[in-house]
Amino acid sequence: MRLVAQVFLAYFMVLVMAALWRFLPIGRAIPDVVALSAVYLGLAARERLAPSMLAAVVMGYLADLLIGTPSGLLSTSAGVMCLLGHFVQGRLIVRGRLVTAGFALMIGLVSGAVLTALRAWHGLLSESLGSEIVTALLSALLTGLVGPLVFRLCRRVDARFARTRRERDAAAEGLIP
Amino acid sequence: MTPLRRRILDYGLAAVLLAVPVVMLQAGLKSPDRMSGLDQAVLRISSPLQSAMSWLVEGVGGVWGGYVALVDVEEENRELRSENQRLRHELGAARRAAADARALEELVQLRRETDAETLGARVVASSINPYFRVVRLRLDRGAGDVEVGMPVIDDVGLVGRVHRVFGRYSDVLLVTDPDSSIDVVVPRTGGRGWVTGLARDDIYRCKVEFLERGKPVEVGDKVVTFGLGALPAGIPVGVVSAVRAVDYQMYQEVEIEPAVDFGSLRRVLVVLSPPPPPDPDGAEPAPAEPAHRMGSY
Repeated sequence: MRLVAQVFLAYFMVLVMAALWRFLPIGRAIPDVVALSAVYLGLAARERLAPSMLAAVVMGYLADLLIGTPSGLLSTSAGVMCLLGHFVQGRLIVRGRLVTAGFALMIGLVSGAVLTALRAWHGLLSESLGSEIVTALLSALLTGLVGPLVFRLCRRVDARFARTRRERDAAAEGLIP
Repeated sequence: MTPLRRRILDYGLAAVLLAVPVVMLQAGLKSPDRMSGLDQAVLRISSPLQSAMSWLVEGVGGVWGGYVALVDVEEENRELRSENQRLRHELGAARRAAADARALEELVQLRRETDAETLGARVVASSINPYFRVVRLRLDRGAGDVEVGMPVIDDVGLVGRVHRVFGRYSDVLLVTDPDSSIDVVVPRTGGRGWVTGLARDDIYRCKVEFLERGKPVEVGDKVVTFGLGALPAGIPVGVVSAVRAVDYQMYQEVEIEPAVDFGSLRRVLVVLSPPPPPDPDGAEPAPAEPAHRMGSY
């Protein structure tokens, strides 16, 4: 149920971003909330990775449909991000605004790199590589900026679905239970 | 199942799950226009939500943008109003200056054409008394030159006579005042009479008294000063606007419309002395006498 709620939260955030995007003076750059949600799922994966991976892939699939990217592009990236989150889970504590923002910036950069690589692999890159890089960097920057908010929302959902008080407190504090 | 096997199975399942979108991407790129039933179902559900979200964000954005824009518009509006007011003032001043210049030009022309000695004056107020048709003048020159009874003219005709003098200011009794009396002649018929004002509230009008019936006038006839006394001869006084001849009366009842537009008087000339009479021997003209001493005002 927690994972379903996380998927819905990501879905809602993508909806909001898709609607807000036109009003923001940031050109083509857009914060990668799917990558953030996916990496959070990887970070918060408890005993098993597969359910989180499934949730991340579904998240990406929904984002692909909403945004209109080729089906599988964002879900592959979301899966990779989930995996990445799971691998850094034991080595990194993502707490505090600054650390979270820095981590989100890194996630934005990695996600941008993954997406660029996937697009390059499938011949989907545009002719202007410089413009692609600028957009990816701006997107990473924006991802870093919204990272604390996205993580906070995800933690709220986790806390809501916590089975014990300890889990709830840990989720609210940003500690992986 | 041991924890290791469980973990391997978990990772294996995760890897399979990760491979699914990769395959989907490959397949999707081969036939991008093809949509599965699930895709269509998701999009059917998502589209109204996306539309509603866009509507909401656009609404909020519109209100916010409108508010921010309105703040700017208010400031801009204030600046534009201020500028508009300033420009209106400038335009009004320019128009007044142009009218003054025009009036001065006409006055200069009038002075050139008038043989009599004159003094320019500016109208500073009009209809200052409800009972009399009077305008107040400010003289261009110092006090002392103007005396009561001197005629006042503008570029079109006779305005009136100086009624009072105080310092550099004078009150002029217009020809439309009932107390005014001017010796006139109708050039077409040669009939003579006296013009006096009707003092009507709604319009400037005069009547000609003592105009003999033997020399009948018509509507449209011009009426000019006769030239006896203080007034130079031939100054237009007005145009006949109505004539009524009564059988048992000796004189015609004639109403005239003044030549001068009293409503737009700005610059006038005070006739200080009438032109000297022509000398039949061609000798030097005799010096002019002050205008006020010659008339029967």
